[in-house]
Amino acid sequence: MNIQGFVRDMDEMLQAFLLFWIPIAMVPLGLWFSMSSRSKSTTTNGRVLALIGVIMICLSPWTVPTSPSSAAGHLLGAIIGPCMLIILGIYLISFSGNVPVGKLPRSDRRLGVLMTGAGFVWLAGMHWWILTPQLSPDEVNPYWYVFWPTFILLTSCLASCSAVTLLTIGDRRKAESNAMLVVSALSVVVLLLGLNIDGPLVRADEFREHLWLAVADMSGIVAGSLLSILMFAFVIYSYERSLPPPKTIEPPTESELQQVSTLLRTHLGGEEE
Amino acid sequence: MKESSLSVTWRMILLAFLLPPLLILALDITFYGALKGIDSGVSFTRFANATLTSYTLCSLFLLGNLFFYGESRNRPLAPLVGMVLATLLGILATVFFIGQGPMLLEDNGSVQAQAIYNIVHMFVSSGAIVMAVCVALGVTFSAITSQKSRSDFDLEEE
Repeated sequence: MNIQGFVRDMDEMLQAFLLFWIPIAMVPLGLWFSMSSRSKSTTTNGRVLALIGVIMICLSPWTVPTSPSSAAGHLLGAIIGPCMLIILGIYLISFSGNVPVGKLPRSDRRLGVLMTGAGFVWLAGMHWWILTPQLSPDEVNPYWYVFWPTFILLTSCLASCSAVTLLTIGDRRKAESNAMLVVSALSVVVLLLGLNIDGPLVRADEFREHLWLAVADMSGIVAGSLLSILMFAFVIYSYERSLPPPKTIEPPTESELQQVSTLLRTHLGGEEE
Repeated sequence: MKESSLSVTWRMILLAFLLPPLLILALDITFYGALKGIDSGVSFTRFANATLTSYTLCSLFLLGNLFFYGESRNRPLAPLVGMVLATLLGILATVFFIGQGPMLLEDNGSVQAQAIYNIVHMFVSSGAIVMAVCVALGVTFSAITSQKSRSDFDLEEE
């Protein structure tokens, strides 16, 4: 996909703020409205807001061509198709199986497998075929190098983790565990192919470099998130500790205890057989 | 489950998670005799930028969560101020460390450009992480539901 930008008479920073960053903010805001409100109209409005946000982000390469950040919008537009195919396919496969509620017809399973396979082939075609997201002819979208290695590597790690979890914690889950091992092995094969076979635009050396950067990136994300969660826990702990202890009431007096025991005595026992 | 066997299980799960990158590392060392394509300087820059950005963005997200925490506590100001300070600390640390020179600048000319790049980069990485989690959970669920339904009780033939 190539982009030909068009010039607009607006300050570049303001343009990026209005047409890229505000739509980005609209997505979580819309999701928050749709999930936190009980009113049906607010829920619908929230969903519409999030959808408009996503559409505007996808359109950012055309609306804010001067902003380098719009490359992320370009990537979103490029990968939203295969990603939706994969997610819908997995949904169809899952719910056409043995589920107690919301069961889909058995025939949806084949469609689901087809959709998931097509989604993965589409993503692989972005690496080894002509489908690579390009900002201009022969200029690969830099964020593709971030998304693809992170996605494949983490899928492989999580599938392997899931296989061992099913085997160790699950009960008689060997068949499912084997299926997850196959998914993990396939992901590793894709990684190894990427590390050794050049695509028309993505070279194996570049992929190798970005794979290890993806590892550094994921480690950084985990470290930063853990730090902020620790800080959050510390703030809550400090506040709760600073609160005065709750008021305690006086213990019951002798007469109150007497009254309770009298009441208990009248209600205990029963007819003897 | 005994505590010791639970500990072994957790270690096995962690090892399984780390197995794919370790396998690729081992293959690289076997075939090329070295860690090919790893530039420790660039990797450290990416790690540091990712840590600072994820800390700041995650703190901002948790600051939003304090809104719900406050509902059951008569909206106290103290934790809100504490978390605002924690978020500000992240922003200031990001600006300070990026401003120190080329250490954390990745092909960007200014602190502002690097900070914006970090945020966009974080969105893309998070998207990839969310997608990978969806695929892994979805395939696990599909594998479980594709098996024949089980009975909770073993029937004994008489």
